[in-house]
Amino acid sequence: MTATNPCFLPITAAAELIANRRLSPVELTRAYLDRIEQLNGTLHAYVRVLHDDAVAAARAAEVEIMTGNHRGPLHGIPIGLKDIYDTTGIPTEGGSKSCLGRVPTEDATTTRLLKQAGAVLLGKLTTWEFAIGGTAFDTPFPPARNPWNIEHDPAGSSSGSGAAVAAGLCAMAMGSDTGGSIRWPAAWCGLAGLKPTYGRVSRAGIMPLSFSLDHAGPLTWTVKDAAVVLQVIAGHDPGDPASAKHPVSDYHAALVGGDLKGIRLGVARTMFERDCVASDEVLAAFNRSVEVLRELGAAVSEVELPPLALYNATAFLIARGEGFAIHAKTLRERPQDYGGLARDRLTIGAYVRASDMVQAMRRRLMLAEATDVAMRNVDAILLPTAPDPAPRLAELAPYFGNQRPTYMRPFNLTGQPALSVCNGFDSTGLPLALQIVGRCFDEETVLRIGDAYERATPWRERRPSLQ
Amino acid sequence: MAETIEARFAAETALLDLELLPGQEAALLEAYAALREMVALVGADYPMAAEPAHIFVPVAAAEHGK
Repeated sequence: MTATNPCFLPITAAAELIANRRLSPVELTRAYLDRIEQLNGTLHAYVRVLHDDAVAAARAAEVEIMTGNHRGPLHGIPIGLKDIYDTTGIPTEGGSKSCLGRVPTEDATTTRLLKQAGAVLLGKLTTWEFAIGGTAFDTPFPPARNPWNIEHDPAGSSSGSGAAVAAGLCAMAMGSDTGGSIRWPAAWCGLAGLKPTYGRVSRAGIMPLSFSLDHAGPLTWTVKDAAVVLQVIAGHDPGDPASAKHPVSDYHAALVGGDLKGIRLGVARTMFERDCVASDEVLAAFNRSVEVLRELGAAVSEVELPPLALYNATAFLIARGEGFAIHAKTLRERPQDYGGLARDRLTIGAYVRASDMVQAMRRRLMLAEATDVAMRNVDAILLPTAPDPAPRLAELAPYFGNQRPTYMRPFNLTGQPALSVCNGFDSTGLPLALQIVGRCFDEETVLRIGDAYERATPWRERRPSLQ
Repeated sequence: MAETIEARFAAETALLDLELLPGQEAALLEAYAALREMVALVGADYPMAAEPAHIFVPVAAAEHGK
């Protein structure tokens, strides 16, 4: 837990040291593996550690770099993948008994791109079963724990990804986000979590949960690191039918410094002060964040979005309908091979009628248009990521209803890019988070705002005090 | 149509030919009640021409896999 521990270097800092041959990828990889050995028994962030493969990949990276073939900022950087990302020859089991022993013969597109960029795969990370099963104790792998307080939930479904990055068990982890599963663990683990625009990053080779709501993206310590990763994984992929042919920007170049003059921000206050009232500490941190952004030069106004419950109901019907379609055969044949939460959350999709699904898709288009209209005079929307800090492990509601929804799912529905950044800590030391939502394919603005906020605040100086 | 939510749930479960595991029925009944509330919230009173968000877009055969 010191500034000199290489496991706490942001990607950008480690990459510079590696490029200048002042940090060995092999030493860096071994430092992470040692730390995983020390802490994974407590945190359960990894389901599979690839010790020998990781050291071999790091050695290969080191040889390449020493011979003048430096591939870029991810070359020699140790990473983790949520265990729904296919990896050739390495089990990818989705946290489910029903997939134990499943070994893909091809990499997911994102896996391949990260390997091509020279990243070193440390292992596969804990996931809620099929990215939906919740914090469960009846699945093959124990649930990940929050490094800021191991009695608390790291959120999910990319639970291991959040825990691993926060604890310094990898420099970056990939997650997936169908209703908030990148941003939520990023929020509760104090990280940057980016859900790119729908279609921006390929989902080919990632276990699907809901075809029209699934997104892939990174969880990192800093926003700048998220930009580095996005640069590598963004782009059209014919293997993903939803992949967009939109040109890829220079995301790093968009991080122009701390100045936000000319940026117009809209606070979606009705969502967290009327529709689902955020806790006092979340509200206070959010209001302080808005003041920071205003001081950086942004113009701040208010925007009113459609009711949160309407977004959530629409997304719920679509997600459950699509989820059941994916799992119907196995659920009927081997229901006992699912944990109880995943089984119930998927089976309820059987009751979504064809007409319910079509009406939800009609409503979806209306909500996307209404959101677009609300953003007419702003470049990005601000709101908290979640209404509360992390609860104790397994205290999350089964989320069958609309009792206390988070503020993330609307933007799976609209497909907009959304970034969660740490915006402080509650009185018990648990992280709080700000969500920045941009226009479709405008990740640059979202990253620029998040990066400026991080530079202006001290939250990146604190790490979990794990021994 | 059955009158109570419990009866509607039972009828649909039978129609769907779902075999629920012991203990699953209570959780799913709660979820079913929430689901029907969400269906009502999303509504069904749309203009006839209101398109859904995802429609099939045909591509020329040569475009597949590009």
